[in-house]
Amino acid sequence: MTLDKDSELPAWVEELGVPTALHGQQDGKGLAAFPNTEAAVPVDLVPTSRFTFEELTAAYNQTRVDYIVPMPMNAARLREYVHNYDVDMDASAVAVEGEQILGLVMLGVRSGHTWITRLGVLPVKRRRGAGQILMEHLIAHSRRLKVGYVILEVIKGNLPAYYLFRKLGFNEVRELLVLRRPPGHPARDVAPYTVEALDYHHALALLDQRQSLPSWLDETPSLKNAGSLAALRVELPTGDRGWLVYQNRVFQLSRMVLQTEVGDPHQVALALVHALHARHPAHDTSTENLPADDPHWPALQELGYLESFRRIEMRLDLG
Amino acid sequence: MHTILLIEDNADRARLVRRILEPHGYRFLPAADGESGLRLAAEEKPDLILLDLGLPDLDGQTVAALIKHSSELVRVPLVAITAWPPHTAEPMAKAYGCDGYISKPISPREFPAQIATYLKRHVSE
Repeated sequence: MTLDKDSELPAWVEELGVPTALHGQQDGKGLAAFPNTEAAVPVDLVPTSRFTFEELTAAYNQTRVDYIVPMPMNAARLREYVHNYDVDMDASAVAVEGEQILGLVMLGVRSGHTWITRLGVLPVKRRRGAGQILMEHLIAHSRRLKVGYVILEVIKGNLPAYYLFRKLGFNEVRELLVLRRPPGHPARDVAPYTVEALDYHHALALLDQRQSLPSWLDETPSLKNAGSLAALRVELPTGDRGWLVYQNRVFQLSRMVLQTEVGDPHQVALALVHALHARHPAHDTSTENLPADDPHWPALQELGYLESFRRIEMRLDLG
Repeated sequence: MHTILLIEDNADRARLVRRILEPHGYRFLPAADGESGLRLAAEEKPDLILLDLGLPDLDGQTVAALIKHSSELVRVPLVAITAWPPHTAEPMAKAYGCDGYISKPISPREFPAQIATYLKRHVSE
């Protein structure tokens, strides 16, 4: 699914009930009260900081109950998410109608750019414009921050959300893979290599040398916030070499960043991934947002990685 | 009486499964997240575990990996429940040691027969 920047959006996008113009007014407290012209019901936006994590978690889970990939959270995971991804809880917003939560959205803020995430509207409250109102709120906030661009990810196949983002001016950047590998030793041998295990500080130093463009989830601040980082460096007899930074937690390895320094990315990735799972055979592995065209992906597939689903990264330039 | 453990965070879906299974004589155990599901599985040693792959704490694959890593639970039939399309659900369920998967939304008409098939297959092995 790829649309040119200037291509027409399908007619049925309008049928989603997304209003094309908002008529709200700021109330002077950073909150907006927008009359919803289609539903004739006022929608108020309230900062997420005024809710407990338990309330936000319950609302978030309800907004995704009918998703193919619902990714439910509990309060502890949401708290961790907010911390890891620099979510600004005062800028992030909950849409309410009277006393009922309709939906929510969150904004990550870093130098030069922002990231929109966790957008969701209750299934029974969709097609009334709440999603666009939430999005417009965060785009306006990003403009006030004078950042260069806003980034987001949408699960591939979530067409209503995708077309809403296109309508708001976001363009596709790339496809990202969400991958899993069950525990176990490497399924096969690879060419000989030497491996060096490196600690947290060396892992951070390696990330400074990264050449690939990270998504928000694996930008260096995300990895530093998440902690528990380690790294492996391999070298092959041919002189090919590279490194892998990853997060090592009790049950799971995650947040993998692969870099080929010299040589064939496929051979380097085979050695790195083999070394990783020979070292941690009892760990489940989950890694998110590997670009679909990453040259290391075929080696990961050969060593047992499975694609869970894809995301589309989208960007709105504000400059 | 066979005991079925359902690890599923969606309370409505858990109620539906209870309503379907109990009239067929199954003992139904619900767990709303991965951690309580693992604890209940260890305590009750169910005859079958139904596992939603999307859970709020540990995700379903991690729970499956831990069940299959447990010497006490490794032989308990494990069935994933997921809305993923077959080309994703099937290899993922297999890779994580599940005996199979059931697609969401579950069919109240077909569900009891699906459960009976997994239990029967396990007994015959």
